[in-house]
Amino acid sequence: MIVFISGGSKSGKSSLAEDLAVKLAGDATRWYIATMVPHDEEDRQRIRKHIASRSGKGFITLESADADPSIAIGREKDTFLLDSVTALLSNRMFRNDYSVDPECGKKTTEALLQLAGRVNNIVFVSDYIYADAENYGELTEEYRRNLALIDQALANAAGLVIEMTGSFPIVHKGELL
Amino acid sequence: MDLITGGAYQGKRTYAMKHFSVSEEDIFCCSEDAPCDFTAGCIDHLENYVLYCVKNHLEPAMDFRSDAVLIGRDISCGVVPTDPLIRRYREVYGRYLQTLAARCDSVTRMFCGLPQKLK
Repeated sequence: MIVFISGGSKSGKSSLAEDLAVKLAGDATRWYIATMVPHDEEDRQRIRKHIASRSGKGFITLESADADPSIAIGREKDTFLLDSVTALLSNRMFRNDYSVDPECGKKTTEALLQLAGRVNNIVFVSDYIYADAENYGELTEEYRRNLALIDQALANAAGLVIEMTGSFPIVHKGELL
Repeated sequence: MDLITGGAYQGKRTYAMKHFSVSEEDIFCCSEDAPCDFTAGCIDHLENYVLYCVKNHLEPAMDFRSDAVLIGRDISCGVVPTDPLIRRYREVYGRYLQTLAARCDSVTRMFCGLPQKLK
């Protein structure tokens, strides 16, 4: 099963995603795909918070900045949690030489759908960053367009789509487990 | 009148075309530099029309066709904008959408391509 969760920051997306992944996995192995590449102390602190929050839930951390579908090999019966699509897209979109891959939304969508097709369960966490008045400039708009492309494709493929707001789930598709 | 709202790139126009049988030719796309064509069957980017009004000190109108499909982006969720014009625009547009939603037969919010019926 594919689960897609999005919403504002600190709305409880990660906790819910972890709990759903635990339920879906049953006795199977749970993999946490850690996408964030830390750049400073603030990032490292956020990562420590996330590790602490999921400790005891039985996840094995799998560090993968690009979430290549090959990470599913030999783990087809397992359950995966990818937190977050947003961090994954920045890793794949902004290259080290400051150039941008204009096709990265499409490529990331294909990679994630392929990964999802190979494994028993996968829970995706994304961020709803589409509803503000500020004009961020073309590069950020391109990032938002690409993220929206991925979000829509994942929500379309998912059996369960949830929007989190103030730690409460709004179910847009399927039924809460 | 039917209103479709939601954040940027959430599939609002696609939903209008699919659900309300709107075709490309029916759609008038508002710009922040020109008035709105109230005769169109579908009016997209209402937020741009309201920005046009705010920039030109005009009261935004609602003289739409009674069967019009209206599409407006939700711009309400960010930090208070530092630019006073954008601040006023956000407030005027928010109130405008509230009044418009009250007058519409249906209100739908799009989330990642999925419709959520609000009214």
